[in-house]
Parts: sequence; structure tokens; C-alpha cells
Amino acid sequence: MKSILQRVLALATVAIVVTGCATPPQAHNDYTAFRQADPRSVLVVPVVSRSVDVDAPDYFLSTISQPIAERGYYVFPVNLIKRVMEDDGLGDANLVHASATPKLAELFGADAVLYVVIERWDSKYAVISTTTTVELSYSLRNGKTGDELWKHSETMAYDPAGGQNGLLAKAIVAAFEKAKPNYIPLAKSVNGISVARAGRGLPAGPYDAKYKTDQQQY
Amino acid sequence: MKRIAIAAAALMLTACATAPQSKYDWGTYEQSLYQYYKTPAEMNVLAAALDASIVNAEKASRVVPPGLYAEYGYLLLQQGKNRDAIAFFGKEKAKWPESATLMNRMIKIAEVKSAGSEVKQ
Repeated sequence: MKSILQRVLALATVAIVVTGCATPPQAHNDYTAFRQADPRSVLVVPVVSRSVDVDAPDYFLSTISQPIAERGYYVFPVNLIKRVMEDDGLGDANLVHASATPKLAELFGADAVLYVVIERWDSKYAVISTTTTVELSYSLRNGKTGDELWKHSETMAYDPAGGQNGLLAKAIVAAFEKAKPNYIPLAKSVNGISVARAGRGLPAGPYDAKYKTDQQQY
Repeated sequence: MKRIAIAAAALMLTACATAPQSKYDWGTYEQSLYQYYKTPAEMNVLAAALDASIVNAEKASRVVPPGLYAEYGYLLLQQGKNRDAIAFFGKEKAKWPESATLMNRMIKIAEVKSAGSEVKQ
């Protein structure tokens, strides 16, 4: 019994390795506007949340800087920005998302502004297991013109009893407590995959060695 | 069989990661910020954690990531340590020219605050 399970798991893992890493080079986003704007810095503004979890926007903020900075961009300090915007009367995420980008970008000297919407951040409790879901959508806009440079949306679910998420399970399983799901590892995975996936994520920024040489992938 | 699974998992971790090695030494930035949002009263804990993250990275000659000097500087400003705050805003600006507009603004705020507190004394 055990060995069959192991065999299935191993096969599934290999399948993920084969499918997950082979990215077809032809299908990628249109990065014309992005390349033209050539942003060096990204300002993350207050996050809009459609989740009932009132803490989600704050908690999320702790997960977004690292993946974007590691793509090679300057990311403005998220906590400082949050506080300064609150002081300036710009703390309402819905209002900020609805107002003009260039004015905001100019205020902080940002090349691009990232608008994140938490579409889902919830757990569905069932008898045997709990499924936790994080769904995020991203829109990066040109700080000068307000034009959209990148758009993406990504969902990830974690079900400890499911096993279909072989890729996630190892990294995340330890972080989950029984009645208290921890969304942070999921949010980090969603961010990491969204910004770094070839053909869909952000091209390498000025602090990355592949800056302006990754047109094949992006 | 188990070995194959482990090898495959290891391969996944290395082969699939688009950014295999980190450019920066993040220290405890993410965890500490998350903890702070959980218990906002404990700003000093976050400040100490950021301080330690910066000191450790500098000691190991690793690059302090974008934003960290500024985040720490902002907490110093909140604590009324205006001169220290100015120093860290200056460090952020020197390391990351993209931050210049914001840092100049923060330095100005700290200077005004600092002058105000000197008058009071």
C-alpha cells in the first residue's frame, strides 16, 4: 500500500517537473508597452480586498516586496508607503485604485504603480480537511501615462488531504496549523509564480543580470 | 523509490526556481512585518528585527534589499529618533537612487520634526 502511494507520488512529482519546467517559448504576453516604459521602480499601493478577512490586506503586504525586488526592481518600502499614504488621506484602497496613476507616481517618484486586488483569501472547512484558497489579481501601470504595463491573475488552493498539489505540499504543509490556516505561504507562492513565470510574469528589471536580454522569454 | 521522489523534489526546487539564488539578504523582514501587522502595538519589536537584519547583512557583506533602510528609518522617526532616521533615509537614497524623491521628502519631514523638538527643549 505504502509503496504504491510512494510510486504514485513520485510519478506525479516527475510529471510536474517535466510539465512545470518546460515552458513553451512562443506563447508569451505582449511586452511592447512594458519594454517601452522600461520601469526601474515599483510602488505598491494599498491593496483592495474582496475577502471578508479584514486582516488580509495588511498581511498580504508582507509578502509582495521580495518577489518583485528579486526580479530586479526597486520596490518602495511598503510599510512606510502605507503609513505616509494614510497620513496624506490616501489610505482608502478603493479610492486609490480608482484615481489617476500619474499624480500618485509623481508624489513618490515611482516609474510604475502596482495595484493588487485580493479576490479570494478564505478557507472552506469540511469534515476531513480544510481547503485554503488565495486568488490575487495584479495590474502594473505606467507612472507617467497610467497605461497598463502588465496584468495577471493567479489562484492557488491548498488542501492537505488532496495531494494534487504535489509542488506546493512540501513547502507549505508545515506552515498550516489545524484550525488556523496560514495564508502567508500561499500568498508568497502566488506572488512568486505570478511575477517570475516565463512569458507571463515581469521581465528582468535593471538590478537583474538578465535585464534587457530576456526577450526570448518575455 | 523514496530516493527518486526526493531527487525529483530537489530537481524541482532547483530547476523550476526562476530566481535560484537571492540577490539580497532579507533577514527577517517578511516574518517581522507580518508579526507587526498581527500585533501593531509592538512597533519596537519590528524596529529591532529590521535593525538586526540590516546589521547582519552588512556584517556578511550581503546586499541590504530595496526599502529596508527606509522602513527602519521610518520606525526611528516614529520613535522620535529624528537624526538617526535622517541617516537611514540617506542610506536608502545612496544605495537606491530610485528612492530619491521619496527620501528627500522623508528627510525634510524628519528635519522639521527635529527642529521642532529642539525648540521645545
